[in-house]
Amino acid sequence: MAAPSEDPLLRSARREAVAALLVFVLALLVTLTVSYLAGYLHPRETPSFILGFPAWVFWGVICPWAGLIVFGAWFAYRYMKDEDLGRDEDGPDGD
Amino acid sequence: MGTSYAPIVVLVVLIAASVWLGTLAQRAMRSASFLKGYFLGNRGLGVWALALTATVQSGGTFMGFPSLVYKNGWVVALWIAGYMVVPIMSFAVLGKRLAQLSRRTGALTLPDFLRERYRSPAAGLIASIFIVIFLTVFLFAQFKAGGTIMQIALPGSADVALADQPAGGVGEDYRRGLAIFTASVVLYTLIGGFLGAVWTDLLQSVLMLIGVVILFFLVLSASGGPEAATLKGIEQVGLDYAYPPGPIGKAGPYLPLGMAAGFFIFWNFAGMGVPASVVRVMACKNTSSIRRSIVMLGVYNALIYIPLIVISICGRSLFPSLTATDEIIPRLALSTGGPLVGGIILAAPFGAVMATVSTFLVVIASGVVRDIYQRFIDAHAPERRLKWISRGTIFAAGAVSVAFTINPVENLQTYIVLGGGLAAGSFLIPVAMGLYWRRATGWGAVASMVFGAGAVALFELIPSIRLGLHPFTWSLIASLAAGLVVSLLTAPPPAEHVSTLFDAPVEPALR
Repeated sequence: MAAPSEDPLLRSARREAVAALLVFVLALLVTLTVSYLAGYLHPRETPSFILGFPAWVFWGVICPWAGLIVFGAWFAYRYMKDEDLGRDEDGPDGD
Repeated sequence: MGTSYAPIVVLVVLIAASVWLGTLAQRAMRSASFLKGYFLGNRGLGVWALALTATVQSGGTFMGFPSLVYKNGWVVALWIAGYMVVPIMSFAVLGKRLAQLSRRTGALTLPDFLRERYRSPAAGLIASIFIVIFLTVFLFAQFKAGGTIMQIALPGSADVALADQPAGGVGEDYRRGLAIFTASVVLYTLIGGFLGAVWTDLLQSVLMLIGVVILFFLVLSASGGPEAATLKGIEQVGLDYAYPPGPIGKAGPYLPLGMAAGFFIFWNFAGMGVPASVVRVMACKNTSSIRRSIVMLGVYNALIYIPLIVISICGRSLFPSLTATDEIIPRLALSTGGPLVGGIILAAPFGAVMATVSTFLVVIASGVVRDIYQRFIDAHAPERRLKWISRGTIFAAGAVSVAFTINPVENLQTYIVLGGGLAAGSFLIPVAMGLYWRRATGWGAVASMVFGAGAVALFELIPSIRLGLHPFTWSLIASLAAGLVVSLLTAPPPAEHVSTLFDAPVEPALR
């Protein structure tokens, strides 16, 4: 008897989870690096503003946030796959 | 204007709509068994309900968070920045697999899932006990927030708001507000259960967005914009108001870089691991709902959090000497919008609090009924008795929360972060191990929960040993290490059981 194959949903879920974690790490690095260079290390003087935000907030928080909304749409509609979740088994108590 | 009934009328209309939705939800659940309907909404959540309700918006979003911005300035934008990845992390890391395995095991609750995945009654019992304790801590802050908003909306309280005087005390108005809030939220949760909580959560999420957008433009116009408001804030606080790491307090700067990284991690992993989020993913209708929720939640979070930062910065220039800073948003709503528009805006934070409380009451009730009573007292209890125990638990959790918030906690956000951290620190790793690692064992899951919760408590109690990291980061490390080590030291789970969860289902040769 052939060994059972891994559940295809498990394979795609693992692939998507790894991609999401990589995106998380990238977003963390970009946000902290930009905020560190433009904010933490910036000389304490009256800040410059972009669209009402201090420059370090605009480049370190607002821009990555906007980028992730666009990326999220690509990720959801192009990268992730639809799959059958299977039928709902009765719980151990027959619920 | 100070004695206007408009704000309280708007909130009463919101309460009435929530109770009505609870009754509709009750009718919608009649076709299913009580437990699956009351605690999981028959696994029917579509994209709107999943995206706009499966997250961690709460009283903290509209009260604790603006209070932090008011006190510490723009650095709080970095404090909350992790929310930019929350939609992708919340739905793409655990979503599909959790939805699949909860169906395959028939799990209705988080402890159910852990028990069936690991074939471990101990894991289920510990999860149930943790849920009841940690979520009750979280609820204290929510009840305070609900009582406070009601207090401000009551006729006569607007005088206080407009006069910019601290009203955060525990006067008769606060107690009346708390009583009205508690009675209404417990009522519609009793009636509608999980689906009622989800539907009212959805209504309230839409209200939150409308409220934030209206308030954003009102406050922008009243304050002269964020740039002018920032300069006024700098006059009061100093240049640290505009730059990280923020103002320097007794414990040092507000947000050192290590803590900024810690909060970025915290929002994402706590968002995935809190029981209310886990249960909503288990209740989703299909994978299409999960995918589309990423996009909808991404846009929604940006439209809530970024304007709230600007509103709170501008709010400080309008109320420069507020001492009860948790009240900045309700006060801005009433001062810039007048009684009627202010009341509509006030519905946003009130809705957020109601939604959180109702959801958590259902999760606590499910823990007691499904995971404690059914497992350890009477496995074959009739449905009628389960209904009464569910409702009694919701009533009791509400009563305990009120008892602890008659004299409310001082810093709302502290309890929210603590309760959320304890819950997520306990459950995220055991759930993730159960989904993706065949070798994970029941004792590994137990160790992971105990060490995760223990680390949050330890590093919260003794800040000097944190080495610059957030307690939740330590919690994840401890939980993961304990889960891995104990799983590898204990006997592997039965191969047949693991195969049913990790391998493709074998189709019968003949039908």
